[in-house]
Amino acid sequence: MRDILLQIGQVLSVILLAPLLQGVILQWEERVQRAQGPGVFQPYRDLWKLFHKQAVVPQTASFIYWIAPIVAFTCMLTVPILIPVLTDFPLPQSDMGDILGGGLILTLGSFFITLAGLDSGSAYGGIGSSRAVMLGILAEPTLILVFVGITLLAKAMLPFVVNHLLVQQPALYWSPAHLFLVAAFFILLLVETDRLPIHSSTHIEVYMIEEARILEYSGPLLALLKWASMMKQFILYTIFCNVLLLPWGLSKQGTAVGALAAAAALFGKFLLVAVSVVFVETAQSRLRYYRYQEPLAASFLLAILAIVANQLR
Amino acid sequence: MFAAQLPPLTASLFSLVAIASLLLSFVMLGSRWLTDYLIAFAGQSWLIAILSAAVGYYGHYPELYLIAVLTALFRGVVLPYLILRIIRRLKVNREIHERLSPSACLVVGAVLVLFAFVVSSHLCQALGLTGTAAVLALTVMLSMKLIGFLMLAVRSEALSQILALLVLENGIFLGSQILVPGMPLLIELVILFDLLVVVACFGVLVRYLLAQTGTSDASLLRRLVG
Repeated sequence: MRDILLQIGQVLSVILLAPLLQGVILQWEERVQRAQGPGVFQPYRDLWKLFHKQAVVPQTASFIYWIAPIVAFTCMLTVPILIPVLTDFPLPQSDMGDILGGGLILTLGSFFITLAGLDSGSAYGGIGSSRAVMLGILAEPTLILVFVGITLLAKAMLPFVVNHLLVQQPALYWSPAHLFLVAAFFILLLVETDRLPIHSSTHIEVYMIEEARILEYSGPLLALLKWASMMKQFILYTIFCNVLLLPWGLSKQGTAVGALAAAAALFGKFLLVAVSVVFVETAQSRLRYYRYQEPLAASFLLAILAIVANQLR
Repeated sequence: MFAAQLPPLTASLFSLVAIASLLLSFVMLGSRWLTDYLIAFAGQSWLIAILSAAVGYYGHYPELYLIAVLTALFRGVVLPYLILRIIRRLKVNREIHERLSPSACLVVGAVLVLFAFVVSSHLCQALGLTGTAAVLALTVMLSMKLIGFLMLAVRSEALSQILALLVLENGIFLGSQILVPGMPLLIELVILFDLLVVVACFGVLVRYLLAQTGTSDASLLRRLVG
């Protein structure tokens, strides 16, 4: 019973804290550029506003347009069940899928958003979808290599096993195999959360990648999509922190206090990652779009090095 | 082999330093700017100095401390300073004619690392060397050499070529530090002074190139002159 409550708590913490993470990142990005920036609770207010608006549907839209936001949101509700968000032991139903299963569900959500971008037939949606797919084609092999690296490292594909192993063996934590996986995954994190330094962070349609796919949406459907993308960011940060980078500070016994403390610790870790993401986004000068393959080549290389280093361990 | 009896945490820190220096040679492959190459080379030399000091500490070779200091001083400070002076004088700060784009270079480099790994694991089996440290040292050494050759092949700016040669040499030095840590001090000294001569010669050569062809682009040198 307690475990089921904890599992619900994991999903709820992802739902509720994801907009806060987005708000923090957006505010800090403005702060480092010496602007005031929106408040950290602005994403909540945006979602509230969007949920109370009317939905305007393009005439060309088919059923894909309607189901894409729901599928994307449901996918993001499913993934937190599989990964250690609050506790470092498996909870009920968390054996539904391993790392690859989680990756599959995450990709399914963004696949449907891509379809929806193509569905209405608008030019910007098409641009956004084609760009997102191009980046996905280059990011996917690296993602698979990172998963292979994790599997070779831990001899298991379950995130809980990786977490335990890294906590117990500092030698493994500091081995190049693990640290290069962390670096490769960090670049993937930037790709998947649409923070690569290859387009303007201001919202001009020409530079958009992921955002351009959902330009046709409005009202509650848009709110669902935005929420889903914030949750995707939160989930990827969770995998990065709790499985790879900072595997400490999870609830070991599963008490209520422990779970709350784990949620607080999780957010603390996210602030660390967010600082580095903001730093990368600000310090790295913007490249023109056709240099998108460079960070991805670097990430591919890091994954290869990690696998080679793992063989030499 | 000294590395067989290391505690696991130290062993992983060792391999971390070795592979980080390999990573720095990839920085050279992935960038277009000459100063990036230079910083990466200096960082690599400092890492190698740390590595040889660590080998000296854990393997009880006191003369390696001296070599570490010399490496940091010569490869980490003096050579980069000399090359920086050449860069400043040249007024060329980036690679302009690229035969292979940096991202393609990175992928080719990754393939080369895999190749080096396969070769060195076979080599260690054939030689009967046990322990992962030998394979690691051989892999890092071979892949740094191959990356140096790759840079020599695809970069045409004269300074990239000096730095590619130096990376090649750094790889050999790193491998020898781990594989045969008890090398006589004199050999190390000779290698260091050799490097100084190499850089000085290249400085003269670059000047000559500038005076003759007006650029420092080595791809323009197509004809042998007797």
